[in-house]
Amino acid sequence: MSGEVLVEARGVVKSFPGVWEHLILDHINFDVRAGEVHALLGENGAGKTVLANILSGFYTLTSGQIYVRGKPVHFKSPFDAIKNGIGMVHQEFTLVPSLTVVENIALMLRKHNPLSYPLKEVRERTLELSERYGLKIEPDRLVEHLSLGEKQRVEILKVLYWEPDVLILDEPTSVLTIDEARELFKILRRMAEEGKGVVFITHRIEEIMAVADRVTVLRLGRKMGTFKVSEVGKDELLRLMIGEMEPVRYERGRSVEWGRVVLEVRDLHVLSDDGREAVKGVSFEIHEGEILGIAGVSGNGQRELAEAITGLRKASRGRIRLMGLDITNKPAGEIAKLGVRHIPEERRRMGVVEPMCLAENMIIREYKEKTFSTAGVIKSKVITEHSKRLVERFKILTPDIWDTEVRILSGGNIQRLILARELWKGPKLLVAFHPTYGLDLKAVTHTHQHFMELRQKGAAILLISEDLEEIFLLSDRIAVMLDGRIVGTLGAREATPEKIGHMMAGVGAS
Amino acid sequence: MVSKKIRKILYRLAESLLAVGIGFLGGAFLMLLYGYDPITAYRALLTGAFGDISGIYETLSFATPLILTALTFGICVRSGLFNIGAEGQMYMGAIGAVMIGGAMSLPAGIHAATATLFAMLLGGLWSIPVSILKITRNVHEVVSTIMLNWISFWLVTYLITYQLTDPMRAERAVPAQETARYTVIGASLTTIFPVVIAFTLLIYFIVWRTTLGYELRLVGYNPEAARYAGISIPRAVVMSFLLGGLAAGLAGASQVLGRPPSWTVYATLGNLVNLGFEGIGVSLIGRNHPIGIIFAAIFYGGILHGGRFMEFEAGVASELVRAINGIIIVALAIPELLSMVSGVVKRRRGKEVEAG
Ligand SMILES: Nc1ncnc2c1ncn2[C@@H]1O[C@H](COP(=O)(O)OP(=O)(O)OP(=O)(O)O)[C@@H](O)[C@H]1O
Ligand SMILES: [Mg+2]
Repeated sequence: MSGEVLVEARGVVKSFPGVWEHLILDHINFDVRAGEVHALLGENGAGKTVLANILSGFYTLTSGQIYVRGKPVHFKSPFDAIKNGIGMVHQEFTLVPSLTVVENIALMLRKHNPLSYPLKEVRERTLELSERYGLKIEPDRLVEHLSLGEKQRVEILKVLYWEPDVLILDEPTSVLTIDEARELFKILRRMAEEGKGVVFITHRIEEIMAVADRVTVLRLGRKMGTFKVSEVGKDELLRLMIGEMEPVRYERGRSVEWGRVVLEVRDLHVLSDDGREAVKGVSFEIHEGEILGIAGVSGNGQRELAEAITGLRKASRGRIRLMGLDITNKPAGEIAKLGVRHIPEERRRMGVVEPMCLAENMIIREYKEKTFSTAGVIKSKVITEHSKRLVERFKILTPDIWDTEVRILSGGNIQRLILARELWKGPKLLVAFHPTYGLDLKAVTHTHQHFMELRQKGAAILLISEDLEEIFLLSDRIAVMLDGRIVGTLGAREATPEKIGHMMAGVGAS
Repeated sequence: MVSKKIRKILYRLAESLLAVGIGFLGGAFLMLLYGYDPITAYRALLTGAFGDISGIYETLSFATPLILTALTFGICVRSGLFNIGAEGQMYMGAIGAVMIGGAMSLPAGIHAATATLFAMLLGGLWSIPVSILKITRNVHEVVSTIMLNWISFWLVTYLITYQLTDPMRAERAVPAQETARYTVIGASLTTIFPVVIAFTLLIYFIVWRTTLGYELRLVGYNPEAARYAGISIPRAVVMSFLLGGLAAGLAGASQVLGRPPSWTVYATLGNLVNLGFEGIGVSLIGRNHPIGIIFAAIFYGGILHGGRFMEFEAGVASELVRAINGIIIVALAIPELLSMVSGVVKRRRGKEVEAG
């Protein structure tokens, strides 16, 4: 690991005056060497994304200096960073939905030279790269029709296209299955062997142990230290990240008597955006006090299923009943009023209104109710109190309630906002798409506890996730979705990761 | 942290003042180029527009319709719509005001009110086809509003020429009767001005303090999230265009019931033409915000009115006066235009937002 230092940040300070009073990055030193995977670890809002954005030219720094191979550099745009061999894959997707995969990759070239748009060449090279790194894609599909995992691969290819020396990945695994993540780790290791430097941001310590050479821990803008992974223990990393070691243990609730059927889905068929049949005859039910986990690689109809249940998408055939009431193709607002809540797949696109403040985002569900408005006039005092309570309870790191757009919140804090809004009232049915996506360890535990409480109180939960560990931890029954169908359902006790894994891959359905 | 909002407003204000400065410098440069003295000219402009009470009345009178047509644009921007239909809706409002205020006799008191409301109603109705075309046929509002502007133009011209002609003077429609006129405050300013200000404050209240405004803004910012929130997007579109139409209708009324000396519309629509389009610029200068729009319209009105004094007193050629006005206005509108454009780009790319 005595490789050359490829990029170095020295004494980097970042502040957002007028928004935050504290420094977002407080004199950070950080370097990436050739041949290593360097992990960044820290709680939600610690400053990982901001640091990565500074290294890759998306943010300017307040003070300090960046060096590339020992030479000081001043990035004015991401393109400057790319020219210096630094590329970044963002936490949130940056693709243009209405363009195809290839067109998206070609866009960056266009910035370089507005006249060139060599689609053919880009297509070939993309396929070649996708072959070389084992990143499977369909080059001519529109990005808006891709699943999260697929989009993730396109994001990576988009950066690899420039053959960067340093590749920064901001929480690339949160939307991947274990297998997909393992594949990604292989790719990262291969890149390190090729002499590249890799920066890898994650909340999962096991992943760091598995793939990284060094790890840097950040806490609220301060650096807690950089360590060789081989010389540091899991517990120590935890302590550095969170502070005093709170037992991150989690009690699975006692099993609950199932009550009445809350959600009943019969022979449901749903089309995807591009008109293909994405859900092909799915049937299941969820009872009061039951968590039904839906496992499966993303893009197998999960999103369409969730959207049909919550009224965001029309069912082409079949029935959906809530507490016996037919809600098939009812408007989303009506379904929500019946006590259905939804943690959506893409949090920044659908889950929040980025240019609005936190308070206005908090009342998306209930703004019409008497609590929050009378005769069409919004009660801002009540809303302030309400928001403050939720900020406290869900530990959302935000500068204020009314004055700042939620756009600037960190990924994990956006997720907390959504959780707070969808959970506080205690829904009858919760449709949760990878609910702990991007949360730090502590918040994951809190969320799981919250789910257990809801279940205890008799809520029905449809948990859709690629994270098998989470599915196993929470679910009473596990159904596997493959190519628009449920290929099998197992009780929590009989299910094993092997069985489920086989079903997910489409072998030996039971 | 209380000062955050104030800081934002001050920042915006500074930006606008800078733009004014740049605009005036540009104009001065132009004048020097043609051998005029910019100092004298600008002094004439300012004293003409704001120097004495009758100048101020005149300026406010110029501003009145512009506040409203700017609102038409500004409200719709909040819902992500690009409404350039104020022009045609204003014509409809004006002819509505003529129908009730000029061609009918009603007791004083309710006459003006009825005529005003009817004008607003016509303006609002004229927005309905835009909504219907957008919702059912997905016709972009720029296309449909331009078409409707022309339809309105010829329809109103026809009505003035053949149906509502002033028996005394054939080139115009029957003027509003005494009972339908708003009281003159001074110069050509009437009591419709406070009505317009009250209407603007009402719009401000609706947009920022009511559930309807919340829905409109939500749809404008993120239709996907609006759907998720269970908001009916068609309803929001209709309401947004409708509010805009009401404002434009009131603008038309203000030119008939609240603007001496003619109190009517000419068959050429000469006293109306372009007020709707100028509203777009005013809205941009006012950051598409109701309160900003009031100040922007007054500034704009000042330039229009004061510009005439540059001509009389400093002898600047009238074409040049218009060019100078243009420079100042474009310079002022640019900050908001840029932020509208970069807002879209940022949203697409998820780029950094420096909080201003
Ligand atoms: N453009 C901005 N303006 C103001 N504050 C910002 C901006 N971007 C980020 N921040 C703030 O900086 C802090 C660090 O954010 P950052 O996104 O780096 O967190 P993170 O460590 O990546 O967290 P997460 O795990 O949730 O992704 C947060 O409090 C965030 O709100
Ligand atoms: Mg982050």
